[in-house]
Amino acid sequence: NKDAQMRATINQKLIETGERERLKELLRAKLIECGWKDQLKAHCKDVIKEKGLEHVTVDDLVAEITPKGRALVPDSVKKELLQRIRTFLAQHASL
Amino acid sequence: ASVLLFQAKSCICHMCGAHLNRLHSCLYCVFFGCFTKKHIHEHAKTKRHNLAIDLLYGGIYCFMCQDYIYDKDMEQIAKEEQRKAWKLQAFTPTMVSHYQCTMTGIGEKYSTWEPTKRELELLRHNPKRRKITTNCTIGLRGLINLGNTCFMNCIVQALTHTPLLRDFFLSDRHKCEMQSPSSCLVCEMSTLFQEFYSGHRSPHIPYRLLHLVWTHARHLAGYEQQDAHEFLIAALDVLHRHCKGDDNGKKANNPNHCNCIIDQIFTGGLQSDVTCQVCHGVSTTIDPFWDISLDLPGSSTPFWPLSPGSDGSVVNGESHVSGTTTLTDCLRRFTRPEHLGSSAKIKCSGCHSYQESTKQLTMKKLPIVACFHLKRFEHSAKLRRKITTYVSFPLELDMTPFMASSKESRMNGQYQQPTDSLNNDNKYSLFAVVNHQGTLESGHYTSFIRQHKDQWFKCDDAIITKASIKDVLDSEGYLLFYHKQFLEYE
Repeated sequence: NKDAQMRATINQKLIETGERERLKELLRAKLIECGWKDQLKAHCKDVIKEKGLEHVTVDDLVAEITPKGRALVPDSVKKELLQRIRTFLAQHASL
Repeated sequence: ASVLLFQAKSCICHMCGAHLNRLHSCLYCVFFGCFTKKHIHEHAKTKRHNLAIDLLYGGIYCFMCQDYIYDKDMEQIAKEEQRKAWKLQAFTPTMVSHYQCTMTGIGEKYSTWEPTKRELELLRHNPKRRKITTNCTIGLRGLINLGNTCFMNCIVQALTHTPLLRDFFLSDRHKCEMQSPSSCLVCEMSTLFQEFYSGHRSPHIPYRLLHLVWTHARHLAGYEQQDAHEFLIAALDVLHRHCKGDDNGKKANNPNHCNCIIDQIFTGGLQSDVTCQVCHGVSTTIDPFWDISLDLPGSSTPFWPLSPGSDGSVVNGESHVSGTTTLTDCLRRFTRPEHLGSSAKIKCSGCHSYQESTKQLTMKKLPIVACFHLKRFEHSAKLRRKITTYVSFPLELDMTPFMASSKESRMNGQYQQPTDSLNNDNKYSLFAVVNHQGTLESGHYTSFIRQHKDQWFKCDDAIITKASIKDVLDSEGYLLFYHKQFLEYE
């Protein structure tokens, strides 16, 4: 599968150069800034209240909040990260 | 870089090769598997390896309990490893404030405080809590005079009221590096802060501090009256050395690379520019300083005129009233270009010969706490006397005109910034004043210190009294302590 192979190669390059860590930190900061982290935290608490603390597992939470988390990421953040990755790829054109 | 390469190549699922999907590592053998695609689950079932670790967050998953579990010992290990990893990281977050760096130590990850069992026990056994109101006098305590030790008491008062120093010691940031902690001056300072903030109103007897000072700064030992300024410099030096565990000054201490709390708070950089009068080449050196010693009018070195062609511009809101010398006057004199004369020619690297030159001092880097020493004690070959000229000093001081950067913009013909400019980094507030009454032979030191925002107190050894701002500003002034108003992000 050519797509998966390309993904793997890009990922390797990102890790090797340390860019992956930098992007992660950038994303982390942006998501805290725009309140995304707080929103999801609140949602988690709601899920736990609903299901009861004794019965809920991490998997339940992951299943519940993953779609919401993905949807709530602001477009501006997506744009910025995409731009960063594009710049990175342009600089490592040998790929 | 090779570590990253290894990680890039090996952190993939052993079944499908993906690097996403919540990769987990088996804790029994070398196996990485996706969580989302259940590859790690398969491995656990077939091999009966029931524990795995999440490679992203470090959570431990138990396949029998079918959930993440929280084990105290594992949490401890995880915390320790995270701390180590943080230190190794090449990447550092840009938004760590200067204050945070001072408090946690450079490059340490911020983590919220969690009380240990012992700490919880202590908190439960000591339920009394102190509330800091505007009128409370916590932090104020008198000091017994142990025989002409008022010079030491004043400096102790100034140091215990230096906000950053207080925060450092009260949050227990000192980890003793000395071979024998009983001879550590920094540990003693820590104890001193505890005494001052204990709430006791009786005066404290600083006999241990005195003994440590006598041991580590021999030139100050004995029962005669000493110079408070000399004591300040000696104390800062010993504290700075003891922060590094240097007991007898043997270790080479590079003042430019020291990160101890003393250097973080008190060390500034003084720039000295020597300009050759022939080729106009400039030779620049920057030296660290803990205080600025200022000459006064009435000393044997002439004070006026300040500098060739100096104007009577308004600085720091004071216009020069003839007769009254101001702190700003002293600073202008300190930073004026000085012609070095024909008997003190400097070898010019541009001209390759000895030439006459001018020398000028400016501030390259301002310390968080700036201490100004008015040179009132004259010890020349001919006479020993005290200069009692009144020098007026302000509550708020702007150091912008004395900065190396300001000098550069003046020389480049740039318009001099108005004094209430946007540059907040050079603004200081007065928080302590040490005064000397009497003569060189017999005198007494007292100090004024600031508590909260506008309350001042006079400290006369064991006696603490409320003082007005007028009392402070009318006093003669020997050592003036100013604190930066704004602590910027690095």
